[in-house]
Amino acid sequence: MTFWLAGCAPFTENNLIEEISPITFLSISKGDNGKLKVSTILPSLSKKNKNVMSQEVSLLKEGVQKYNLNFYQEVKSGQMRMLLISDELAKEGIMSIINVILTDPDIPLRIYLVIVKGNFEKYLESQLDKDENFDYSFYRMLKHYDEKNQGELTVINLHQFKHLLYTPYSDPFLPVFKIQEDGVNYEGTALFQDDKLVETISSLDDRIFQLINNDHYLSVLPISELEVVLGHVRSKIIVDMDSSYSTMTYTVNIDTRIEEYRGEKQLFDPKELENMKKDIETHLEQQTHELFKKMQELKVDPLQLGVQTKRPFSKPMEEKKWIEMFEEMDIKIKYNINIDPLTDANSKR
Amino acid sequence: MFWKKKQIESKLVTQSITESELSIEALKKSLVQMDDAEFVEIDISDIRKIYLVYIRTLIDQEKLNESIIKPLTNCSKPSIQDCIVNSSIIHIPIFIEAKKQLFSGSILLFDSSQNLWLAVPLKNPLGRAIETSETETILFGAKDSFSEQVEQNITLIRRRLPIHELKAEKFTVGSMSETSVVLMYIEGLTNPDFVSTVKEKISEINFDLFFDSSQVAAFMEEHQHSIFPQFQQTDRPDVVAYSLGLGKITLLVDNTPFALVAPITFFHLFQSPEDYINRWVVASFLRIIRYVSFVLSITLIPFYVALTTHHYQMIPLQTLLVLVDSRSKLPFTPFWEAFIMLIFIEIIREASLRMPTKTGQTLGVIGGIVVGQAAVEAGFASNVLIVMVGISTIAAFLIPNYLMTKANSLMQLMLLVFSSLFGLMGIALGIIAILAHLNSLSSIKQPYFSPVSPFFRKDWIDLFIRGPLVKMLERPEHLKPLKLKRYKTRR
Repeated sequence: MTFWLAGCAPFTENNLIEEISPITFLSISKGDNGKLKVSTILPSLSKKNKNVMSQEVSLLKEGVQKYNLNFYQEVKSGQMRMLLISDELAKEGIMSIINVILTDPDIPLRIYLVIVKGNFEKYLESQLDKDENFDYSFYRMLKHYDEKNQGELTVINLHQFKHLLYTPYSDPFLPVFKIQEDGVNYEGTALFQDDKLVETISSLDDRIFQLINNDHYLSVLPISELEVVLGHVRSKIIVDMDSSYSTMTYTVNIDTRIEEYRGEKQLFDPKELENMKKDIETHLEQQTHELFKKMQELKVDPLQLGVQTKRPFSKPMEEKKWIEMFEEMDIKIKYNINIDPLTDANSKR
Repeated sequence: MFWKKKQIESKLVTQSITESELSIEALKKSLVQMDDAEFVEIDISDIRKIYLVYIRTLIDQEKLNESIIKPLTNCSKPSIQDCIVNSSIIHIPIFIEAKKQLFSGSILLFDSSQNLWLAVPLKNPLGRAIETSETETILFGAKDSFSEQVEQNITLIRRRLPIHELKAEKFTVGSMSETSVVLMYIEGLTNPDFVSTVKEKISEINFDLFFDSSQVAAFMEEHQHSIFPQFQQTDRPDVVAYSLGLGKITLLVDNTPFALVAPITFFHLFQSPEDYINRWVVASFLRIIRYVSFVLSITLIPFYVALTTHHYQMIPLQTLLVLVDSRSKLPFTPFWEAFIMLIFIEIIREASLRMPTKTGQTLGVIGGIVVGQAAVEAGFASNVLIVMVGISTIAAFLIPNYLMTKANSLMQLMLLVFSSLFGLMGIALGIIAILAHLNSLSSIKQPYFSPVSPFFRKDWIDLFIRGPLVKMLERPEHLKPLKLKRYKTRR
């Protein structure tokens, strides 16, 4: 009785691992006539000849069902680890896809969501001959950056995305990978307004985004304008908002060290180092300011700054109202950089 | 009809012998067709004849010549008791007693002039020397173990506990084998309830033959159908002495090198005598390892079957790649694969016990190669399963109690069936069933799952860990000893 009350069927489906074919990823892009194009590699786990399977369907689940009709093993989605969504589709909104995946009890919440620029199916087909386990290697890369918190790139799983999507004062963001001739390369972070992709930030903007939001750590931060590379950058953020919510001071305290320098300055000289520090601060302040400006224009708040408006014993502000205020807010960025000085062996200090 | 008549006749014959008066003729009649029964007549003087009656195979012949025949032939005293120097000489009045003495290795003497029957014990000291225990081997600590002679076993215990409170009460069980059972306990320490329970149980035993202590245990256990032993069987005197010192009772059965210790709990089966020799941190670590390996040995293969038949979602992707690869060419489902392998391992295990030592090695090699390599290459078993079977079989051997090792295999098979039917839910149900069963068991009416349930907080110091000896100042509460403190109170 307890069995049925708990919703557990005593006789489960046939899940014998040698009789099923668990898919490890689904790639979804825009098909013709408003349809979805769902692709994957089958069989994904065994060492038999692999094929790229693509189906044009109106509903996501229909795709998986169609694979079953075309493949000798039953396709199961319980081992799904990645969901690759094309940027074209993401621009139109991915709420329906996310909800289908979320409500399937077979699919774990830890699957990684990735935005792909370019024709992924075509790339897969060309790649299968070279690397049979391409999908698996891609998953391992995402998993590595997810677990080790290296702050190199954005890695977001379904649970985190759902959290960002449905929590007030926050907008989701996802990593963007671009198909190029030499492979799938990380491009930057896609910013979402609700479930629609609005902007992709890349290069230095993305680095700053990682530093102030994601892991607050970067192993390497190259600033080419100043011909300097900062290493082991750790940031601490202090956000201060005035009572009328018209101005915000965003202070970023950074501990770092200079890893590489190709400029003219003599960094052993404390004065020159101080100048260098000032330059870096100004440069980063400028860049961050532009990033914030972009966010204000796009009306997105991936940094969850709206949380700062919450006060005890008072009703929280409506999200819409917050976004309006955020759009017009005067944001002051301040960087305080603490550079571990290089020591000169000949120095008499 | 005819058969019935015959039976009644034989009954009449036995009755007439047992009730007959003690005489040489009556004895001769009862010992007819016994080749080793001897009747010797010694003439001391013309008027005086001494008759000796004994069973040749039960007595010490040399001693007979030295201490009986020689002194008697030169005896000039009126009473033969004065000639024979033996402390345990007894006077026998009736026939039944005479027969009992005769078969327990005594020699009967009849002085015709005085019409006196005497019995002198001259038991043949045939038996094994004290050797090292083979079932409970330890690296450090005492090496001696019990032998088949109960008297010797009592000596070994008494040497460790030289106190007058250590009682040894003798009982006889088995209408044909007349096996002696010695109940040992420390008076004033062991809970009298245990002693009375055991006495009651011994008196209720009604069976003809007892050759081993486990048979005695079988008649005394409250849960005959359980796979868990309710008496600890040990052949180590130090274990018995330690148990007695904690407030338990011990039964020594004649002709068995294994003593029965009770009451025990489930957790006793995981304790080794070495636990009290090693340093406490090391001992605790080893004990925890034993519990872990017990859990591993019963659940590892069921988990494999549950995951590969029902819950492919739960396997890490990297492991799944390996599993799919290793299982891709197998003709059996994971359940049958595991079942066949486990039965095969049991066969090897059982065979290795029966095999002579010299052929034992061959079995190991054949078993290892057949199971390890050929089965995989032939496609009967997957590599992963072989590794798991190996781990769980070795893990099962970590449990110091041999009877428990056997119980392990059955639990493993039960969980295996459950896991193949219901997956992880089945394993959970199986474990709940095992725990419920353990909770319902008892050993001489004491709860088998204490000190966990019923809960005794203080006893946990020697449960999953073996606490420092200097901190174990009280005896286990669940044994309800009359003296709880283990130290002498200073005045």
